[in-house]
Amino acid sequence: MPIILQNILVILLAAYMAWDNGTGNQITGNWPVIIGMLIGLIMGDVNVGLIIGGTLQLMSLGVAAIGGSSIPEYGVATIVGVFIAIRTGASTGTAIAVGLPVGMLTLQLDVIVKIINNFFAHWSQKLLHEKKFEKMDGVFYLTIFVWMLKYVIPISLVVMFGTPVVKLILNVIPKWFTDGLTIAGGLLPVVGIGMLLRYMPVKKYLAFLIAGFVLAGYLKLPILGIALLGLAATYEIYRINASKANAQTQSANNATVSDDDEGDDFDE
Amino acid sequence: MNKEINTQTKSVKKLTKHERHNMFHRWIFAAGLGYNFETQQAPAVAFSMRKALRRIYPKDDEYIEAMDNHYKYFNANPLMANIILGATLAMEEKDGIKAKDAVQSLKTSLMGPFSGVGDSVFWILIPTIMGSIAGYMALQGNAVGATLWMVLQLAFFWLKMWFFKTGYDSGTKLITSLGEKINIFTDAISVMGLMVVGSLIPTVVKIYTPLKFATGKVMLSIQSGVFDKIMPALLPVCVTALVYWLLGKKSWTPTRIILLIIVLCLAGAASGVLGVAK
Repeated sequence: MPIILQNILVILLAAYMAWDNGTGNQITGNWPVIIGMLIGLIMGDVNVGLIIGGTLQLMSLGVAAIGGSSIPEYGVATIVGVFIAIRTGASTGTAIAVGLPVGMLTLQLDVIVKIINNFFAHWSQKLLHEKKFEKMDGVFYLTIFVWMLKYVIPISLVVMFGTPVVKLILNVIPKWFTDGLTIAGGLLPVVGIGMLLRYMPVKKYLAFLIAGFVLAGYLKLPILGIALLGLAATYEIYRINASKANAQTQSANNATVSDDDEGDDFDE
Repeated sequence: MNKEINTQTKSVKKLTKHERHNMFHRWIFAAGLGYNFETQQAPAVAFSMRKALRRIYPKDDEYIEAMDNHYKYFNANPLMANIILGATLAMEEKDGIKAKDAVQSLKTSLMGPFSGVGDSVFWILIPTIMGSIAGYMALQGNAVGATLWMVLQLAFFWLKMWFFKTGYDSGTKLITSLGEKINIFTDAISVMGLMVVGSLIPTVVKIYTPLKFATGKVMLSIQSGVFDKIMPALLPVCVTALVYWLLGKKSWTPTRIILLIIVLCLAGAASGVLGVAK
């Protein structure tokens, strides 16, 4: 594939990824392993794409943009890493070392885009009040365009100027630096795990956290097996609590048959 | 109580199936796009509702009033939002502009609980399980995991359609029938989440020290001779506890912790305290 066509496809993939990850569609999301595979296909080396995508996927496990919170863009890091690795022949460690900072800088663009979107929201509501209904869609398509720029700008810069810059850096980068980043790659999943633990009722169900740890750490069970055991526990806990709740509402209903109170006695 | 609701559900249908699906497709297309800090997903809701609501409200004034209602704050998991938006559409189709306040309160009361379940399942559990399976396969150059994951995400389209249909069919019943159970379900599904997270600590987090103790003539590797003897993944557990504690502090954002880890690892590599695990 000619280089110029590859470049265009890489930028188009970035635009698609921005759209897909923001919609209810989410087929590729910005999950590194899927994006890595696709970018590998474009660049003509699926293997490199899979290895870098897989590494970044494991690094980012558990890091989810819950409720629209801002997190480093691992998808962008994947595109940059695979592109650089295939173009310059850099190692996986170096590719990630270049990709990750770009992903973190993209996060700043995310904040700017969400501020710009505020302006678009008011604009389309103003059109509604002016009864220009058909134009409202146009404003939304503009929003999508700006949303895509969030990924397209950093990726285009890397595609256009990245290769010579990275080649320059590769000559001066010391070994301890790439080693350090490889080590960081092994340790970074801890951030996602910490975020998940903050999000879930860890104090209430600490027993299951420990059980999962023992099953994997001591008994070396694969993750799908542990997930299935978790599903079994979930099913039982749901069944017990749901029947408890049913019994509660029933007894509440029985108690309040005489006065027309719909079982609100538990509220203050 | 239930009888009353059942008698209300029969009413005139103002929308064809095609028009309802049009709204569903517009939501799938838009969802999180247009996300802003003030009203969050409201522009996407307005975008998806625009055509269907025009059918329900031929009068301009009513239409503007109803649309204004949807320009208010909305933030929900894009998949689960299908249920909520389906229900609001049914309510407006049945009662028209009179349903305005009920629509607003349905949206605000359901988006929290539904997103709790949706985020746990679709943004945490599935990406964590599929991500680690596909990730490890990919490291060996195997594309099957990544492809399967894509196929799974693609198959969710029918699930979303079912969500939308369920929401549309149940309308206001949604609060009474699902409102209670959804909290119990969220609580229960977190058990599965915690077990998966617990399994990630010893398998995914990698930290290794090449340091050695020299006691007389005997060399003792700290990693294999001390840490691994106490328990598997001792260091990952300690680091996880530290990060969990740091995340509880206001001043420590995830991005800042990532930077801290990178800096510490660079220092560790330069000084030889940390090494690349074999």
